[in-house]
Amino acid sequence: MKKPNINVEVHHVTRVEGHGNIYVNVKDGIIEKCEWNISEAPRFFEAMVAGRNWNELHHITSRICGICSIGHTLASLRATEAAMGIKISDQDLKLRKIALHAENLQSHILHLGFLVLPDLMGVGSVIPLASSNPEEVKTVLQLHRLANEMSNLLCGRTTHPQRLIPGGFSKIPSLKELKELKKKLQDSVPKLQAVAELFKSVAPKLPDFQRETEFIALTKPDEYALYDGDIASSDTGKAPASEYLAFTNEYIVPISTAKRAKHARESYMVGALARLNINFDRLSPLAKKTAGMFGLKPVCHNPFMNNIAQLVEVVHSVEDSIRLIDELEAAGLQSQPDYHQPEITVKAGHGVGAVEVPRGILFHDYTYNQKGVCTKANCVIPTNQNHGNIELDLKALLPQVLDKTEKEIELSLEMLVRAYDPCISCSTHCVRVHFV
Amino acid sequence: MDEIFAETKSDPYYFEKRKSSIIIGVNIQKMSKWCFAPFMGCATIEYGYDLMLTDLGNRYAINIGSEKGEELLEKYAKNVTNALARDIQLVGQKKREIMYMSQQKFDFPPELIPELLSKSYEKSAFWENHSEKCLACGSCVLVCPTCYCFDVKDNPDLSLARGERIRTWDGCLLEDFAKIASGENFRATKPTRYRHRYFKKGKYLYDRFGFISCVGCGRCSSNCLPDIANPVSLFNDMYHQIRDKEMLATAATTPEVKIETEGNIDYVPKLATIVKKVPMTANETLFELRLNDGSELGHKPGQFVEISVFGIGEAPISLSSPPTKKGTFELCVRKVGNVTSKLHTLNVGDEVGVRGPFGTGFDADFLKGKDLLFIAGGLGIAPLRSLFNYVLDNRKDYGNVILLYGCKEPRELLFSSELLALKNRTDVEFKNTVNWCPENEEWAGNIGVITTLIPQVDFDPEKTWTIVCGPPVMYKFVIADLKAKKVPDDHIILSLERRMKCGVGKCGHCQINQIYVCKDGPVFNYSKIKGVPEAL
Amino acid sequence: MKPKVAFFDFAGCEGDQLQVANLEEELLTLLGQVKVVSFREVMKEHSDNYDIAFIEGSCTRLQDEDRLKQIRKNAKIVVAIGSCATIGGINCIRNYKDLDEVRKTVYGENAKLFDTYAARPIDAVIPVDAYVHGCPIDKDEFLQVVKSLLLGKKPDIPTYPVCVECKKNENVCAFERGQFCVGPVTRAGCNSCCVNEGTVCWGCRGLVDNPNENAQKEVLIKNGLTVDDAIGKFRLYFGWQERKR
Repeated sequence: MKKPNINVEVHHVTRVEGHGNIYVNVKDGIIEKCEWNISEAPRFFEAMVAGRNWNELHHITSRICGICSIGHTLASLRATEAAMGIKISDQDLKLRKIALHAENLQSHILHLGFLVLPDLMGVGSVIPLASSNPEEVKTVLQLHRLANEMSNLLCGRTTHPQRLIPGGFSKIPSLKELKELKKKLQDSVPKLQAVAELFKSVAPKLPDFQRETEFIALTKPDEYALYDGDIASSDTGKAPASEYLAFTNEYIVPISTAKRAKHARESYMVGALARLNINFDRLSPLAKKTAGMFGLKPVCHNPFMNNIAQLVEVVHSVEDSIRLIDELEAAGLQSQPDYHQPEITVKAGHGVGAVEVPRGILFHDYTYNQKGVCTKANCVIPTNQNHGNIELDLKALLPQVLDKTEKEIELSLEMLVRAYDPCISCSTHCVRVHFV
Repeated sequence: MDEIFAETKSDPYYFEKRKSSIIIGVNIQKMSKWCFAPFMGCATIEYGYDLMLTDLGNRYAINIGSEKGEELLEKYAKNVTNALARDIQLVGQKKREIMYMSQQKFDFPPELIPELLSKSYEKSAFWENHSEKCLACGSCVLVCPTCYCFDVKDNPDLSLARGERIRTWDGCLLEDFAKIASGENFRATKPTRYRHRYFKKGKYLYDRFGFISCVGCGRCSSNCLPDIANPVSLFNDMYHQIRDKEMLATAATTPEVKIETEGNIDYVPKLATIVKKVPMTANETLFELRLNDGSELGHKPGQFVEISVFGIGEAPISLSSPPTKKGTFELCVRKVGNVTSKLHTLNVGDEVGVRGPFGTGFDADFLKGKDLLFIAGGLGIAPLRSLFNYVLDNRKDYGNVILLYGCKEPRELLFSSELLALKNRTDVEFKNTVNWCPENEEWAGNIGVITTLIPQVDFDPEKTWTIVCGPPVMYKFVIADLKAKKVPDDHIILSLERRMKCGVGKCGHCQINQIYVCKDGPVFNYSKIKGVPEAL
Repeated sequence: MKPKVAFFDFAGCEGDQLQVANLEEELLTLLGQVKVVSFREVMKEHSDNYDIAFIEGSCTRLQDEDRLKQIRKNAKIVVAIGSCATIGGINCIRNYKDLDEVRKTVYGENAKLFDTYAARPIDAVIPVDAYVHGCPIDKDEFLQVVKSLLLGKKPDIPTYPVCVECKKNENVCAFERGQFCVGPVTRAGCNSCCVNEGTVCWGCRGLVDNPNENAQKEVLIKNGLTVDDAIGKFRLYFGWQERKR
C-alpha cells in the first residue's frame, strides 16, 4: 500500500468553543507532527482579580466563560466562602445544586445538538438539519429552552448569573415557580427519550477507539458529585479538594497559550466520561438505563463516548433536579426578603472551591487579606486539564485512520477534539510562562 | 392629569384607562421628611377619589367620593357601618394634624412661585450651580406623579411586515428629550433641562391651566442621588437671591392659548399613496401624496402632518402645497433621520401613514389686501410655499408680494424651476441668494446671507406683513434687520420648529413655556412670543 | 435576497454568541430573514462573502488588528456585540496593571504568540456601524438591532441611564439598601435586569454619552464607599472609556 503523505492543518477548529488548531504532517507514512495547538488570546484573569474586593470576584470570574458561567461563579463563591468561613443554608445548597444541573443540561444539550450531531448526521452544522429533521431540531431547542428557563429561574440568567452571591442568593424562586419547573422537567422526559433514540440511531458513527488514560473527577459517597466533594483519581484514589495542586501540576508548552496538566500519567481526562467512570453507581435510575442503551459502563476509555456520557448526565440532571425540588417542597421553602444580602464578616483567609462544570473539574483558589481584598488567585480550568490528553489521543488515533482520505482524516481528528467539548476561551484565561 | 389630557382634544387612551380605574386614597399618616404637600394645598383633598380612607387606630373611616365608590363598598366590604359623630370629628382632626407634619418649610408664600420663576429665567449662574451634580438619570421625572410626557416607538416583529406602535414614558431631564433628527438639541445642557422642569411645573402649566402642577409629595427629593431635586430648597434659594438683589420683574408676555375640550384625538394614521416623487437636490425630494380614501386633507397653509413609515416611526413634515391644490398634497422631505431616509427609498405607488393636519396655519384671510414679504432660509421655503402658492392662486386678493429666498449654495436650491419662472412674472418680486458659491459651480446672482437681500427691496413697513421661516439661527438676524426697517412687531409672522412627536399637544416634547409648538404653533406672531425666553 | 451574516470572536467568553443560540425557536425565524455564512462555533462552513459581520470580544494583541481590518474590508456593516467588543469590557481591568508585573516572565523565541497590549474595544481599530451592548447582550436587544439593520434604520439604543428603567420597574434604589451602584452613569437598554434580580448595576453596558462622573463618584463616596473602591468601580467596565475621556 502506498505510504501516505498527509498534511492536515485545521485552523480554528469549528464547532468548539474558542480557537484551537490541529497540525498534522505525515511523510511517507511516518508521523512527523501531530499537534493540538492553542492560539487563543490570553486574558489574564488571575491578574484582573488581584486587588479586587471579595464581593466582586464572582462577578469577574463569571466572565471567564459564557457557557459555564454558573459553574465558574459557584466555584468562585465556594472559594471565597471557604476562605472566610461563610456558611450557606441547606436550602441555598439545594438551590445551587439545581442551578448547576441547569448549566449541565444547557451546555450538554447545546454541545450534543449543535456541535456533535451534525458530524453524526453528515452535515456541516445544525442549520440544514432544521429543514431535513425539523422535529428533532425542535426537540433539541425545546430542551435547551427548558434549561435556560431553569437557569433564569434559579440564577437570573444563564450567562453571568446575578442571583448567585457570597452567602446565598439575592433572590430565590417561589415554591409555586419551583413546582411549575418540576412539572416541566417531568414533561421533558419523553423528549429526552427522543434525543436518546436519535443518538442511538447514529451512535455507530462514533469510532470505536480506545486509549487507556487516567480519569479525575469530584466524588462523594452519597451522590453523583457535581457541586462539591473530594478529588478522585481512577489511578490513585481520593484527596480533599484543597490539595488540588498535587493533582493538576500545570505546565506550559512552548507553542500553546494554554497550560496543560498531568498527574499519575502523562495526561489525564476530566469531564462527563471521567465523572461517569468514577461515580457510575450514583447516577439516577433513568440515567443508568440510558447508559445501558449504549452499553456504556465504567471504565470506558473511548473519548468519543464522552458525548454519550454527556447524554447520560442530561438525564441525570433532569431526574436529580426533580428530586431536589421534592426535597425543598417537603422541607417547606423559607422565603427571604427581596434584594437579599447575607451578613458577611470579612476576614483574611485562603480557600479552594472545586466544582464539576460540564467540561470537567474546575478549581478556584483565592487568598484574601484582612480587608477582604484578593491578593492571589489561581484558576485551573477543566479544558486545560484535557489539552494533554487530546494531543495524546490525536497521536494514537492518527495511525488508525491513515488509510482514509485527507478529508476523512480531518473529520476524525476534529470529531475527537469535539468529543472533549473543549472550552478554549476559558483555558487561556491566564498565561504565566516559565521556561525551564 | 384629567385636564392635561382632556384639553386640546381628549386623549382617548388616557380616558379609557381613567374610566376603568378605581381610585382609593389613604390620608397621610406619617409624612416623610421630604414631603411638603401641605404647602401645595395637596395634603388632603375633597374630590377626585372614589373612596378615601383615614386610619383611626383600630378602624378606618371611609369617605365616599363617587357612585362607583359607593357601589364598591356595598358589594365587597363587610363590617361597614355609618360613621359616628365622634369618628367624623376624628377624621377632621387628623386632617388638620396633617397640615402641620411637614418638615420642609417654604420661606415665602408658595403662591409666589410662578412670579419668582418669571424673574429667574435668565439667571444662568443659579441654574448652573443647582444642576452641577445632575446625573441626567431621569429619576425625578419618573417618580413624579404629575409628570406625563411620553414617547412613541414603532416595534416591528421578526416578520418585518407587522408590528406595534408603543407609547412609553419619557422625561425632560433626559439628554435627548428635545433633540431632533438633524442632531440639533433645543435643550442640550443640564442647566437648561433642569430649569425647564421647574418652569414647567411652576409656571408653564400654571399659565396654561391655572394650577401649579406639583403636589409636594417629595418623591423627587428622596430619589435624587446627588440631592439637587428638592423644590423647597430650590425655591427658597431663589427667593432669597431675588429678594437680596431686588431684581424687578419683566414678566414675559404670555401668548394666549386656546383651550378646546371637544372630541377625541385619533392617533391611528390614515393611509396615503405616493403619486409622484421628484428629487430636487441631493438631500431633498418632493413627494406628492393622495389619501387612499379619496378625501381632501383640508389643510391650511403652514400646517404640518405626521408621516408614518411603518416599522420605522413618524416624522413631522410641513405641507408644501396650498389647499387650493385639490386631490393631492405635497411634502418636501429632507433626508436626515430614520423616517425621512426610509421615505426617500420609497417610490410611486408605495403607501405611508398620515396623521393631521396639525398646528395653527397662516391666517390667509387676515392677510388679504396686505402687502406680503416672504423671507425663506433653506428648507424654510417648503412651508412658506404652501402660503405663497395660495397667494398666487388668489393673486388679486393680495397687495404687493415679495419673496426672498436664501440657501447655502447653488445646488441646494429647492423648487428651482418654479422659482426661476417667478422672474418672468410682473406681479411678484423674487430675489434669491446663496451664502457662497463653490468654484466649480456657476452662479450669477447675489452672494451673501439672506439678510443681504432685505435692503435690496422696497416695501412699506406699515402696510407689509413679513412671513419668515428658516433654520433657528436665522430668526434673530432677520428680525433685527426688519426692526431696523421699522417693521412693527405684530407684522412679523414666524414658523418655528421643535421636536414634535404626537403632533397634538400631549407628549410634551415640543413645549416651550406653556405653548405647545405643535398645537399653538408652529406659526406665531412675533409680538406674542418675542418675550418668551425659549422661543428664539 | 437575504443578507449574508457572519459571526467572529476575539478575546471574550463567547457568552454573547451563546445568547444568539439562546434565541431557540426565534433563531429559526431569524434564519428566515438572514443567511448565516460563517459562525465558527456552530458550523463548519465558512465564507468571506458576507454583508453583516457580528464581532464579539476585545482586541488584545497586534495580530488581532489585521484580522479586524480584514473583516471590515469584507463587510458592509460591522456590528460589535457584547461589552468586550463595544467598550473593551472586563478585559480592560488589566490595562491599569503594570504590564511588566503581568509579564513577569521570560519570553522565548515564541514571544509573538504571547504579545499583548492594552485590551480595547474593536472601534479602537475599525469603524463600527452598530453596537449591541451588555455583558452578556440581551437577546431581545440583539433582535431589535438586527431588525433595524434589515429595515435600514439606525437602531434605537438608549442614551439615558439605567435609573430610568429601574424606576419604571419600581425597584428599590440600591443606595437605599446600603449598596453601591453605577446605574446613574451606565447606558440603559438592559431593562435594569441586574437590579431586578436583587443586586446592583455593575456598568457592563458602558458609560452614557455625557456621564457626570464626578457627581456619581461623589454619590458613591457620600454613601460610604472609599475613594479607592469608587475608582475601582469605574475601572470594572469603564476602563477604556475613562482613559479616552
